[in-house]
Amino acid sequence: MLPFWLILPTVAVLFTIQVYPALYTVWLSLQTREPQGWRFVGMDNFRRLSGMGVFGESIGHTIVFLVGYVSLTLVIGFFIALLLNRKLRFSGLYVTLLFIPWIIADIIVGIVFRLLVMPDYGLLSGILQNPALFPPNGLSVLTAVPPASWVGNFPFPPAPAMVYLIMAASWRALPFITLLLLAAMQTVPTEVVESSRIDGANGWQIVRRIMIPLMLPTLVVAIFSLTLSGMNGVGMVFSLTGGGPGSSTEVLSYMLYTLGWRQLEFGRAAALALLIAAVNWILIFATLRVTRVEERNN
Amino acid sequence: MPSVSRKRWNSWLVNGALILICLIALLPVATTVLISFKGERDIIRKPPNFFPCDTPTRAFDPTACRWAIEGYQRVLALKPADDGLLPFALTGNIVRVYIPNSLLYATTTALLVVFLAGMSGYAFSRYRFRGRNLLLVGILAITGVPLLTNLLALYQMGVVLRKAQLPFYDDRMFLVSVYMGFFLPLSVWIAKGFFDAIPRELEEAALIDGCSPFGSLLRISMPLALPGLMAVFLLTFVNVWNEFIAGYLLVAKNEFKPAMFGIYEFLGQNIINLQVVAAACILIALPIVVIFVFARRSFFSAMIEGAVKG
Repeated sequence: MLPFWLILPTVAVLFTIQVYPALYTVWLSLQTREPQGWRFVGMDNFRRLSGMGVFGESIGHTIVFLVGYVSLTLVIGFFIALLLNRKLRFSGLYVTLLFIPWIIADIIVGIVFRLLVMPDYGLLSGILQNPALFPPNGLSVLTAVPPASWVGNFPFPPAPAMVYLIMAASWRALPFITLLLLAAMQTVPTEVVESSRIDGANGWQIVRRIMIPLMLPTLVVAIFSLTLSGMNGVGMVFSLTGGGPGSSTEVLSYMLYTLGWRQLEFGRAAALALLIAAVNWILIFATLRVTRVEERNN
Repeated sequence: MPSVSRKRWNSWLVNGALILICLIALLPVATTVLISFKGERDIIRKPPNFFPCDTPTRAFDPTACRWAIEGYQRVLALKPADDGLLPFALTGNIVRVYIPNSLLYATTTALLVVFLAGMSGYAFSRYRFRGRNLLLVGILAITGVPLLTNLLALYQMGVVLRKAQLPFYDDRMFLVSVYMGFFLPLSVWIAKGFFDAIPRELEEAALIDGCSPFGSLLRISMPLALPGLMAVFLLTFVNVWNEFIAGYLLVAKNEFKPAMFGIYEFLGQNIINLQVVAAACILIALPIVVIFVFARRSFFSAMIEGAVKG
């Protein structure tokens, strides 16, 4: 009986805080709030949500954000991991220093990056707002309107604020991804790398033909985990851009907040939460599958 | 020996590149420290200058730097006080209300998580029982679930609980439970990993010597697992300290809100006074950075333990 009692508190907490609210969200998404209480409206919330113009816009912003965030973090993280993947006297020091951004809260990272480009007073705005460097009027990152879209309503090219948001988010996510990739890189047998070098492969060929294929499961896990954190991270949007200028950095996670807590549209917000949760679950199960396949191969 | 010198040259190049990357990585932190030590006069300059060290004749004069601590003074809002242990009192909301709140939430949650994760991690590591695999996979699956999508339901639950007017209940308990629910799954996996590494024979010897199963858990395994449980504590502490959105939305009264809300509120109040905002950022983030630098091994071992599984 002992294991039962040891596990019971954990299961009770997880059920109350994770399972029950998830089911409750499903129920909420089928209701609407009225003065007398909740009323069942079926799929109405989903229909009205998809009818909202902001919803489509937010999906566009989220896709742009995710593509930029995931690819930027992955490429730079891979590069830093390559540099760290050798015997270095100070690698412990490098890893410690590189890890500091990861330990700083996302809301503070947002503020730190915001202070740099505050209109007129930010340290970098002296350079960015110089018309000679950024014609014709200089670049005010937090207030510049997004450029005209190239593809219908899709927000591409993104607003400067979105590019900056991606940079800030990547800056914070880099340490973890670097360490993840470094750990996978160290499992690539050195004999394979050495022998291919003797056979005349150059650095890029080794990365492309040997490292990337051997690290594929970890790369996939890294992509999924970045997508998951990018999809659900909202603190940085709060403190860095507040969704603006206009709605150019309003991603789905921030829209959930405005819909639920500003407009108090609980039913529709629950529908949106369910859609985000569905994406989350797909990512989580895909990750579980990949790691399990990897375990079986080992 | 051209290959040796080439190798050495390569190693210099790699080290140089890594030093450069570290500097770039820490640049935003450095600029925040820099801003926090500027005076108001240098903050509102247009165009802004990096160092408050220029004189009418020279662009940079290290002897003429106008470093100031008014940013910190305004965050702390020191006032003389006759009662109490210290001759002064900290009256700034961030240090008087929000940081103590965060300290309370982070410590309480981390202690409870260590306790629960220790118990269930031990059970999962040592016992084979019906439903074990199902539970483990279930916990693994919700390890990745982000807080965001459950917030709406949790908010409604909070409203109902608040209306019920339970004795001794306030939003702080609810928030700690929510944090527990979200940081427990990973901690269970980490704790299980650490228990897996402790040889069973030690416990068996204690059982043969007449120790009860619970006693052997308490006297033999727990002390051996202490480094692992410490890692769980630190990771949970940092996670709670850094969490913003739940602390912001699930707590009704401002006096119960955590430091991350405090800094967000502060940002809205100090639109021009960047030095005050920067000082508040440093004050809130510094304890965490210090903990991390001193206990980094603990963090890395917990992360490796967690990353292997999830």
